[in-house]
Amino acid sequence: MAERGTSRRPEHLSAVPDPDPDPGDLLRAVAGGDEKAFARLYDLVAPRVYGLIRRVLRDPAQSEEVAQEVLVEVWRSAARFDPARGSATSWICTIAHRRAVDRVRSEQAASERLTYVGRAQVDVPYDAVADEVSGRLERQQVRRCLHDLTDLQREAVTLAYYQGHTYPQVAELLGAPLPTVKTRMRDGLIRLRDCLGAGAVA
Amino acid sequence: MNTADVHTLLGPYVLDAVDDIERAAFDRHLRECDACRADVSELREASARLADGAWSVPPPALRDNVLAAIGSVRQIAPISPAPAPAPATAPARSSRRLRLVSAAAAVVVAAAGAATAAYTLQDHRVRVEQARAEAAQAAESRVRALLASPDLVVKEEPVTGGGRVTVATSKLHDAGVIMLAADAAPSDGRVFQLWTIRSAVPIPEGTLAPGQTAAVQIVEGMGQASDVGVSVEPPGGSKTPTTPLAADVKL
Repeated sequence: MAERGTSRRPEHLSAVPDPDPDPGDLLRAVAGGDEKAFARLYDLVAPRVYGLIRRVLRDPAQSEEVAQEVLVEVWRSAARFDPARGSATSWICTIAHRRAVDRVRSEQAASERLTYVGRAQVDVPYDAVADEVSGRLERQQVRRCLHDLTDLQREAVTLAYYQGHTYPQVAELLGAPLPTVKTRMRDGLIRLRDCLGAGAVA
Repeated sequence: MNTADVHTLLGPYVLDAVDDIERAAFDRHLRECDACRADVSELREASARLADGAWSVPPPALRDNVLAAIGSVRQIAPISPAPAPAPATAPARSSRRLRLVSAAAAVVVAAAGAATAAYTLQDHRVRVEQARAEAAQAAESRVRALLASPDLVVKEEPVTGGGRVTVATSKLHDAGVIMLAADAAPSDGRVFQLWTIRSAVPIPEGTLAPGQTAAVQIVEGMGQASDVGVSVEPPGGSKTPTTPLAADVKL
């Protein structure tokens, strides 16, 4: 591992990187113990993983810690990735989201964060989603697609996904009945899928 | 929860907006419902795209830390004989990753630091044992979460007759993992049994099979325990230890 300290930086900062490798191919190589492939996968997915965790947890130090857990977990369990069940990016995001949500819930009991952040989020669900969004096309696409949802669908989906709330918490925050919230989450995701053409996205 | 009820959890499940019990119920439901699995896969692709909207450059130290960390984390093998892609990756894995010890064992061993040599012979047995444990995915991910917790405290004591018992506890999770790696099984067909001592009362936490020398056991509510003990008992275990403890880890 000694050689890494010198070799990886230039590699990472290379001005003319290889064409973006496919995360699924990298993940398969990682499952075989390929540390170089893991480093490339890291560069490809870390901003998404860290950004997602940070969005859910808010606290940068905790986010960094959980992001490390998640990325090490990706290394550890790469063999579990099954391309037949979805893309590598989605597999990694699922792990990241689950970990972030677990962490946020383990802390929620004793904190006021739930209601404080929750209310703020209900007031500005769209802006909160958009605040870190900048030029990249795919992010614009997500924003546009979120905008296509009904207000209740968008709020139900974003309160759960970005804030880590359970559906009963979302129901309480929105003052909506439980069955309605469950349906809105599902319909919101379906609409999002159709808008993103998610089935075709690798 | 009946099937119709469970199915309404599709949206919340994909968004991780369910509690652990509901998630387990939905996981069961998924095993019986091919169409639902396809739905989940598709909607997961959509929900994962929401992460695009949160894209944020991580601190540079994260890359160094992660790449340094993987050096000491051993990878797991696929749960079942993998489909098509497996043959391509298998040879690479077999060379370097031959000694695939479960991550639980690896992390505990790494955290314990000492007595590495003593574990080398145990690795195989621990691996066999852990392979069984890995079939129970819930338990496995629980161990993973526990061992990854930032407040993990690891204690270790020798076992009478050779070997060690290692206890990793997390206040945050109010839970712990007991890992027993004895050099030899008790004689006369007797077995090891694990205990926690809570308010001076021994609570059984699992009994090993005859001949079994290694085990990884999750214990909930570890906050109330003052000790973890190991005793030698008749097959099937006892309600309370019938012999002096072969190991006693003070928490």
